[in-house]
Amino acid sequence: MADFSRLREAVLTGNAPAAVAATRQALDAGVNPVELVNQAISPAMEEVGRLYEAGEYFVPELLLAARATKEVFQLIRPLLAQKDVPPAARVVLGTVQGDLHDIGKNLVGAMLEGGGFEVIDLGVNVAPEKFVLAVEEKQAQIVGLSALLTTTMPAMKKTLEVFRTAGIRGRVKVMIGGAPITQSYADSIGADAFGQNAGAAVAIARKLAGR
Amino acid sequence: MSPARNTPRRVTGAGKIPLAVEILSRLTIALRVPDILRSLGYPREATPPAQVVRSARQILTEARPWLQPHGTYALYAVTRLTAHSLEIGGATIAGNISEILHGAERVAVFMVTVGSEISRQAEARCRVGDAFAGLTLDAIGSWAAEAAAEALMKQLGSQLRPGESFTLRYSPGYCGMNLKQQRTLFKLAPAGSVGISLLPTLLMQPLKSISGIVGLGPRKVVGIHLSPCERCPQIGCHMRR
Repeated sequence: MADFSRLREAVLTGNAPAAVAATRQALDAGVNPVELVNQAISPAMEEVGRLYEAGEYFVPELLLAARATKEVFQLIRPLLAQKDVPPAARVVLGTVQGDLHDIGKNLVGAMLEGGGFEVIDLGVNVAPEKFVLAVEEKQAQIVGLSALLTTTMPAMKKTLEVFRTAGIRGRVKVMIGGAPITQSYADSIGADAFGQNAGAAVAIARKLAGR
Repeated sequence: MSPARNTPRRVTGAGKIPLAVEILSRLTIALRVPDILRSLGYPREATPPAQVVRSARQILTEARPWLQPHGTYALYAVTRLTAHSLEIGGATIAGNISEILHGAERVAVFMVTVGSEISRQAEARCRVGDAFAGLTLDAIGSWAAEAAAEALMKQLGSQLRPGESFTLRYSPGYCGMNLKQQRTLFKLAPAGSVGISLLPTLLMQPLKSISGIVGLGPRKVVGIHLSPCERCPQIGCHMRR
């Protein structure tokens, strides 16, 4: 039985070179890449998330772990595709129209990529119609909206209204986040989920993707 | 100690023209790795991993040339101060801030920035997949902007008369000052002269900019006032003092 402890440890400690080395060794030994995901990467990222929620890890540790898993996924993605294993889900991310803040969105993107999601980042100041185009073009299952000002929050509501008008609302799950955003606001505009921080993003996205 | 009661006070003869305006083209700030780690979310008692400390130190060294702290202030006489409004320079600022500025006889409207390069570099790092470096650069920019505001306050100290001190400083969007007050502040201080602009969404550009007001008044009056943080329910606010 293959030993995945080295890869798990490398992800847990955010050691990207060690994670890549352990992955190469496992693949050379004939390990199925799906097993690598199920037995090493996913459990390690879940533990990273648990440590963050417990206040033992902070955002930098999350990002270092996400970077390690992202590099591993870059290595195994072609092999997973050969086995018809899709990404966890396709997620379109963007900061809403009128807002130029991008760090929070970028952190969520990094975490989702580390969690095996395919991320399409539309950048900042994204008009609702651009989100619609991206969802249709990329067949995305999830949309993540970010806003950092009370004055730009209304653009989230407008974006969801445009989704309804365009007929795509029923096809995507929408998660929202940003400093002024609350669960109450998310409920009021009909978003499917609200993320308090980047650390929660992967768990929320998995739930929305039905995994 | 309970705050003194506010009573409306009107000063006659004071007008729209500021008492003083200063452009500070270079503010001296000091950034240390522990400050950046705090800005990255580590509480004082935490021991960040050696890798994080090492990377933060390296990124801070790299980032220093990308920071250009500078700012401006305009000093006004308070023409009217009530429980819910402050009049300076022919403009009215609404909100709890008048209570917070109790005792102030003059108010400085200030703006500082560290420029846009640090944000550009942060975004560029994220784009190439280095979110950790992007986050650290963003944290450096935020901390540097706060340090620039403190440096401006030191310069503003030259305006204090004997026996005077400052109130705490306040920015739109915090401590009961509505974000919409940003428009009034931008009318009162020469933001354009230091390259700071305000978007219709009230977002400042460059992103790492701070605007605000601070009162100057007799130390015996402004010094006894409670910090609004004592009564604020926003426990998680990163501006909590």
